[in-house]
Amino acid sequence: MKLSQKLLLNAFLVSSLGLVTACDNKEEAAPASTSSSSAAAQVYGLAFSGAMTGPTSDAGLPYSRGIGDYCSYVNDNALLGDDKVDCEIKDDGYKTDVTKRNFEGYLEKGIVAYFNYSTGSTLALKEDFEENKMPVIPASMHADNTKGSKYIFLPIASYSEQALGLAEYVSKHHKGGGTPKIAMFIHPSAFGRGPVNDVKRAIEKGLNVEFIEVVEHGKGLDNTAMLKRLQSKGVQYVISQTVQSPVASMLKDAKRLDLTASSFGEAGKLTFLGAHYTGGDDLIALAGDAAEKFLWVTSFRLASEKSEGSDFIKSLGQKYGRDVKTQESHNYTSGVLVAQIAVEAMVRAKAHGKAVTSATVTEELNGMNGSNAYFANTTVGPVTFDVNDRSGVDTLQLYKATNGTFFSENEPFESEFYKQLK
Amino acid sequence: MSTNRWLATGNFFTSYKEEQRIYRTHLDRSIFIVFLAVLFIWPLFFPVKNSTMLVIDNVMIAMIAVLGLNIVTGFAGLISIGHAAFVGIGAYAVGTAVTLLGKNHELIVYGWPVMILLGGMAGAAFGALVGLPALRLKHLYLAIATLSFQIIFEWVIMLMSFFDQGQTIAVGRVYWFGGKVLRQQHYTFWYYAILVFLILCGFMVRNLLRTRHGRCLIAVRDNDRAADAMGMHPGFTKVYAFIVAGLLAGIAGALKAYLDRGVGIESYTLHTSIEYLAMAIVGGLGTLNGSLWGPAAIQMLDLRVEELAELSGHYLPAELNLATALRPLTFGLVIVLFLMFEPRGIANWWRMFRSYTKLWPFRY
Repeated sequence: MKLSQKLLLNAFLVSSLGLVTACDNKEEAAPASTSSSSAAAQVYGLAFSGAMTGPTSDAGLPYSRGIGDYCSYVNDNALLGDDKVDCEIKDDGYKTDVTKRNFEGYLEKGIVAYFNYSTGSTLALKEDFEENKMPVIPASMHADNTKGSKYIFLPIASYSEQALGLAEYVSKHHKGGGTPKIAMFIHPSAFGRGPVNDVKRAIEKGLNVEFIEVVEHGKGLDNTAMLKRLQSKGVQYVISQTVQSPVASMLKDAKRLDLTASSFGEAGKLTFLGAHYTGGDDLIALAGDAAEKFLWVTSFRLASEKSEGSDFIKSLGQKYGRDVKTQESHNYTSGVLVAQIAVEAMVRAKAHGKAVTSATVTEELNGMNGSNAYFANTTVGPVTFDVNDRSGVDTLQLYKATNGTFFSENEPFESEFYKQLK
Repeated sequence: MSTNRWLATGNFFTSYKEEQRIYRTHLDRSIFIVFLAVLFIWPLFFPVKNSTMLVIDNVMIAMIAVLGLNIVTGFAGLISIGHAAFVGIGAYAVGTAVTLLGKNHELIVYGWPVMILLGGMAGAAFGALVGLPALRLKHLYLAIATLSFQIIFEWVIMLMSFFDQGQTIAVGRVYWFGGKVLRQQHYTFWYYAILVFLILCGFMVRNLLRTRHGRCLIAVRDNDRAADAMGMHPGFTKVYAFIVAGLLAGIAGALKAYLDRGVGIESYTLHTSIEYLAMAIVGGLGTLNGSLWGPAAIQMLDLRVEELAELSGHYLPAELNLATALRPLTFGLVIVLFLMFEPRGIANWWRMFRSYTKLWPFRY
């Protein structure tokens, strides 16, 4: 046998030995989910990994600041008594590989709950969340996040619920004869595609709208052909499920082509509506006056309307030195909400005399329903979870862009058809 | 032939075969064996965190992929901007098997070495296909052809419901002689598995370069008409360069699918292709050890820039979004600096280091 062959054989033998040793199947002790700084006061780990740089960082940065500020607020105001939360926040640049690495790092530190960001990484890490029995509250409200999972909790209604809510609103408020014709303008990913089938299923179950077309937008900045096509097909309502920038491009083109409806459902024109990540101040900043009359649905209270929640958000932002733009961003409020939910579960676990661990946080989250629902002042309805329904705030609020600001349109509502589809 | 094979001094060759030896001296061989042994043994004595081992595993997978890219771009001189797609083909070969058979099917969880080789073969098959334009195209035109392959790959995956439109296809936990590889052992287990594949692939490439076919690659790169005149087949050489590159990329992709326990399009985009190219350039195009240096250097740089971007993101105004620009800026700058000042890459530093240590303690 030649020396090189011997060398290869030896490498194989050593590697096999290594593999066998690595797989001795002994489960190492799981990292403690609670770390203590002293016998009396405990420090509980919370962690976030999201896009503070890269794609969607315009949403991710205020979101992360919302989480961080609320954690500081919890410690400063002793919401957990002598105990503290240690909130670790890391940027993943919207890359799943980095999210995975961050999550592994957090597990080693013994966190009790985790905040994830994108739809892609939430779906990619779902198995990891399940295996570690780690309660996860993502920024993504993709309905499929919760499928086959016991530990992913959506903070507010899913994108499907939001899109259905908008379609139902169209159905109820459509003026003029015939069935209202809708098109969906979506992001070319799981995030965008999620609600399409649910809207189609609702139509099969009797939702009175006609589904004309789904448009998966690219990165192009001209929507003339698409808008003209929709108009020629008789579409009156365009429901968007994507992020602000493509919607802004579409709205600007529609204004240029004089296709934007001046009133809801104006015949021969297009009325634009959108789900959570399509609207907000960022849309107005991008689209300017083309965003006027855009109808946007979310579950959050906005800074534009005085309420206990908006006052709280404003004072929180001021206290921790955030600029006005951040304070008024609904993404900042979203970040605050996910931290509020996790901390509330920890408070309840303590109140029930349980040690605060990922298991008890999950238990308390699943118990947030009925008389135990959590009324966060930052949302238009209560946060409710149970083992079969892990979408938090089911209540939706429609907002309309008027003079460069979003204001409430009608009362908060819930999607009727989404309940039927469950 | 030298009288003492342990010393470099007086080492001369009396045949081509001797000159093609992998190790010039016994000392070289011994050092390499010790190095390999250390690579296999250290995790047993110095257990590292999962998050650290994940980085190491990803670096080694990138090394296998860049070995392939170096064959096609470094040795054969054919620019490929679609290498991540070849890696993706290997990963989606596993993804396809999972979709058809189920994530916990015996072939997936017990036959994972077979699946990894199948991933490599799928990569090789697509390499042959993409290599065909190389028969007629050169330089920028070939680069565009490989770019097209990358774009087609992404669109096919993103649109086909069979591939879950690019969403993650979960892969089950594998079994080894000790039973199911559980979470605690996952990253260490794959460290060893990837290391074995890396060593095998490294030896394969090293041996390929010692053969007639290996020398053909370099001859065709330097002047394909002259190579043709010397009796070589430039067309065949170019196609098999793509086949070998596809094979190695496919193996890397299948390994990544198992390491991540899932296959999603995000890891195989054009951006990743550019990263592989950067790794090959920084490591040293047309060198075997450059394929190992490049991924390690770029990944380490990436980690440091990531920390810097995160830190600056906290302090810089959000409107400027300078933190977002920091990463591509640093990335581009490093490539430009290497191309300007060290076009032979880190491999050249290694060569100089070795030359120095070979002569030590003498200066000449």
